[in-house]
Amino acid sequence: MRICLMGFGAVGQGVAKVISLKNDYLKEHYGLELKLVAVTDSSGAAISQDGLDPDLLLKIKSETGKVSNYPEAGIENIDGINVLDKVEYDTMVEVTPTNIQNGEPAKSLTIKAINDKKDVVTSNKGHLALFFRELIELSHQNGVEFKYEASVGGAMPILNFAQETLPGNEIKSILGILNGTTNFILSRMTIEGSSYEQTLQEAQQLGIAETDPTQDVEGIDAACKTVILANSILGIDCTLKDVQVTGISRITSEAIDLAKKEGYLIKLMAEVSPDSLDVSPRLVKQDSPYAVDGTLNMATLKTDLADEVTVVGLGAGSVETASAILSDLINIWKSQK
Amino acid sequence: MRLNMVIELLDVPGQLLAALEPIGTLGANLVTVIHQREIKTERGLIPVQITIEGDTETLDLVMNKLNELGFRVIEVDGNILKETINTILIGNIVDRDVKDTMDQINQLKGVRVADLSLKMSEEPLHSSARITVEADFGKKKDVLAKIQNIGKSKDFLVISEV
Ligand SMILES: NC(=O)c1ccc[n+]([C@@H]2O[C@H](COP(=O)([O-])OP(=O)(O)OC[C@H]3O[C@@H](n4cnc5c(N)ncnc54)[C@H](OP(=O)(O)O)[C@@H]3O)[C@@H](O)[C@H]2O)c1
Repeated sequence: MRICLMGFGAVGQGVAKVISLKNDYLKEHYGLELKLVAVTDSSGAAISQDGLDPDLLLKIKSETGKVSNYPEAGIENIDGINVLDKVEYDTMVEVTPTNIQNGEPAKSLTIKAINDKKDVVTSNKGHLALFFRELIELSHQNGVEFKYEASVGGAMPILNFAQETLPGNEIKSILGILNGTTNFILSRMTIEGSSYEQTLQEAQQLGIAETDPTQDVEGIDAACKTVILANSILGIDCTLKDVQVTGISRITSEAIDLAKKEGYLIKLMAEVSPDSLDVSPRLVKQDSPYAVDGTLNMATLKTDLADEVTVVGLGAGSVETASAILSDLINIWKSQK
Repeated sequence: MRLNMVIELLDVPGQLLAALEPIGTLGANLVTVIHQREIKTERGLIPVQITIEGDTETLDLVMNKLNELGFRVIEVDGNILKETINTILIGNIVDRDVKDTMDQINQLKGVRVADLSLKMSEEPLHSSARITVEADFGKKKDVLAKIQNIGKSKDFLVISEV
């Protein structure tokens, strides 16, 4: 399978690492060879129809910061759309930054790849949260695969899990913790009794929260994932503006203390059901499945036959997120054999 | 002795049988069962009226067993059972708000504020209060909607139970 990898940040580099690590395994078990024919970042691209060496890509990116410095195959300042025209490939793996204003560049790249009859795998949630229906319908019209397991919950299995492991069940609602950064902050505040500001700073120093933490702490990231779950698992036609969102920036250590005394924790919960699309801080029982700490994500799916099923996993991380992308690639491969 | 109760069941095959099973097994007599599938409780479940007969001890055993099996009894002999609802408010909470908030909640039928705990923050705009409400089964939605409303009008962050 020839892959165009759009974006070479934390997740893109994770994908390169996973390809390097798993190549022999994939050949042996699935007869699948993943060949990187193009990789882009904001500097440009590296393109080679014969395949790029993932380890060399990682080395050049870490030493020079630009994939366009790749020997011979590097091209400076080339636009992603042009890259897709310059190379023959089977699947685009799109891992550019999440953009909740207009979904770009992911939206245009995805539309182009799908119209060119290529399969697409993404970890991005911006374009999905804004244009879910449009993109899915386009992929159906073109008869291509469009998969996005990594966009919700990173390594936590949920989309493929619901569709492939629980088929036949009607999923009535989902209640989950879909953002690792806020879960880390609230967990630390609970354990340490520290203030919100102080804990946010700590999370930033650890690289868990971004310099501009707005998307995480104001619940926007979780709201994007809520939209993806609502559309793909519950069949609710909605976009980001349909989600009621409250973040965690008003939470105080006093409030957490009051909750604790009655056996509760405060968690940023996402609720996905036909009556409610909501992200807000909620009280959960200390001994419930919602009481997961640190950067973990979790989700409880309420089903008609299997009752409640809960999944837990790491919501972020380079190789962890790449593992979800790999599962999409393998599924596409298996479905085409 | 006779006991009338209402229990909540999921609308899936086998649920009613599973709930009735311990009654016979534990030695109580089943007198009547009224199962109206078209009525739903607040949680979207079906209320089933069951009347059983037996000595006090047996009836106690049955009630415990039903609890253990996860069936929710919402009414016994015409008395609606209570449930506890906890919420936390964060904001510029002053005495006047506390009293007013309690009054507004207490106005709901079958609902009363059972406990209240305040914690002033160094930053007065971010004080917290925990309100524990005791309400008849079925009132939870009303209570939460009321508290959300109060929160909106007073600019409190309302943190309610999942
Ligand atoms: N990090 C995680 O754990 C995680 C988990 C789940 C989902 N996601 C999602 O996965 C996506 C990638 O995340 P990430 O953490 O890898 O982000 P990142 O580290 O910021 O990497 C983004 C990459 O995209 C490149 N890029 C930026 N603007 C571009 C443009 N206009 N065209 C082409 N490439 C562009 C960047 O180039 P430079 O390298 O030159 O800056 C960088 O290589 C995001 O949508 C994110 O929400 C991330």
